[in-house]
Amino acid sequence: MIRHLFKLVWNRKRTSALLILEIFFSFLVVFVVATLGMYCWDNYKRPLGFSIKNVWQLRIETKKSDDQHTPEESATFARLLKEVKSFDAIESAAGAMGAPYEFGQYQSGMTIHHHDVTMEFNEVTPELKDVLGLRLVAGRWFQEGDEKLSWLPVVIDRDLARDAFGGQEAIGQRLDEPAPDGMKPKPGMRVIGVVDDFRRAGELSGPGNYRFDLKRLGNPDDRPGRIILVKVRSGTPASFEETLMARAQGVAPEWSFEVKPLTQLRESAFRLRLTPLIVGGIVAFFLLLMVGLGLIGVLWQNLLQRTREIGLRRATGASRAEVHRQVVMEQILLTTLGVFLGTVLVAQIPILDLIGFVSGRVFAGGLLVAMVSIYLLSILCALYPSAMAARVQPADALRYE
Amino acid sequence: MIHLQEVSKLYRTDRVETTALDNINLDVGKGEFISVMGPSGCGKSTLLNLIGLLDEPTSGKVALDGKAIDRYGDRDLARVRNERLGFIFQQFHLVSDLSVVDNVEIPLLYRKMSNKERRRAALAALDRVGLSSRTRHFPTQLSGGQQQRVAIARAIVGRPGILLADEPTGNLDSQMGDEIMSILEDLNANEKTTIVMVTHDPRMAEKTHRVVRLFDGRQVQ
Repeated sequence: MIRHLFKLVWNRKRTSALLILEIFFSFLVVFVVATLGMYCWDNYKRPLGFSIKNVWQLRIETKKSDDQHTPEESATFARLLKEVKSFDAIESAAGAMGAPYEFGQYQSGMTIHHHDVTMEFNEVTPELKDVLGLRLVAGRWFQEGDEKLSWLPVVIDRDLARDAFGGQEAIGQRLDEPAPDGMKPKPGMRVIGVVDDFRRAGELSGPGNYRFDLKRLGNPDDRPGRIILVKVRSGTPASFEETLMARAQGVAPEWSFEVKPLTQLRESAFRLRLTPLIVGGIVAFFLLLMVGLGLIGVLWQNLLQRTREIGLRRATGASRAEVHRQVVMEQILLTTLGVFLGTVLVAQIPILDLIGFVSGRVFAGGLLVAMVSIYLLSILCALYPSAMAARVQPADALRYE
Repeated sequence: MIHLQEVSKLYRTDRVETTALDNINLDVGKGEFISVMGPSGCGKSTLLNLIGLLDEPTSGKVALDGKAIDRYGDRDLARVRNERLGFIFQQFHLVSDLSVVDNVEIPLLYRKMSNKERRRAALAALDRVGLSSRTRHFPTQLSGGQQQRVAIARAIVGRPGILLADEPTGNLDSQMGDEIMSILEDLNANEKTTIVMVTHDPRMAEKTHRVVRLFDGRQVQ
């Protein structure tokens, strides 16, 4: 019977092609949305690498770019950090160039053991470990006296350690970063510690390489930080933001400041990442609805045109159930062809390594969800028209004009 | 072999009730070749549909091989149609998207057979009606007479005991009609196939063993 149905589908190329094309495009849309959804879910389940409980961000606006700082500004930043730490309401405070969940990032690339490695990095003061609750898995974190070393100590996350050094011990490894045009080269870097995977962009972001450089507050060559992350004591009222801003403004009247809890940044980051997914999901849902209604209509029309053929099949020995099954099987066959084409196309993604950040597991999951959804839709859409076709009396079907 | 007892068929709509067949009693023996004649609308095709289990009588009893079929479910009716009956229609009813041999194979799709056996039987049936050279053609590439021969091959491919032909020569010229008729006569004479043929053509009816005449749904002869 399958061979017979395949011949029917093949010989009705024009009608079949339209249906296959419809199924093919629906499959692609569902695949994209499902893969994106699974990618986000997969990321959400991974450890984040930090905690933002009671952490606020004091953002500094100096109205200058990073490479235009003066030694006085670096000193002002150090003074500001000291002042912020002096509040009783603040458990600890750390200086940094960037904060978790922020949209901007510092990116760096270098060749390590003959292989190109890109990473995100941040310049931080030693208190960051306590502020964000970072977990060391090897080596040590920054400590007093590190700022006096002739080389720059760095702590990397587990992803970077794996990517850069594979199975080798990361602690003690040297990193040589080429200086960007017009900027002073950094002193040679050496890995002193490894922290758990650190996903600065938040729960929905994928794993990535991350490096913490020590911000040497006493060094006039080091640019001032752009952020102070403060961990406030539980129960600190929101009104403390005003007090903090006023104190900061007192220390650096020429700079402007903004205070935000990191939970607020987290919400924005979620909104930013989930909006396309939700919009895509809604579009995909309505698309599937339209495709489903379209499939029912096209199937219905096809079956009406084939009423006499159905009558003939009934006359020559097909039971109602067999007619019903034949229509559903034809639909499954068309769906298989559409899904096959779609799978061949999307299989190029891992083969050509077009989207490296999506893991094989997520990709396969997206593929499976798309397949199941499309088959389900197709079968559901075929059920009613096929039941109606099977219900016709053979004598009436043979007379149908 | 075929037994109809006080069979009536009414078609009801919201406003009108039409009697298509009224109290028909008919017996057709094994190996008989009968023709059913009568003016248009007298119930000939309805009678054939009832014998062929394509429709249900409003009242009365239809029996095949001594078994009343009124208690048969859909699956049993389909099996009887598949194994015992072969149909030939005036309109041929060939599936235009299938080749000649694939059309002939249709009844065998509903039997447990291998593809090879099915193909062998279909080719033998086409050989029987003299169409071995046209197996890969599509129905639209054939003449009316050839299409009807394909339909006959499809009707006999499953070796049914009974052939039901609804004006098989109605859409053909006299020469082609004669060709079709001679195939039916041959099937009846050599393979003892029971044939019930509806026809308007007295020339064709003369060639059968017996003529049943209907008028306004009633049997008049």
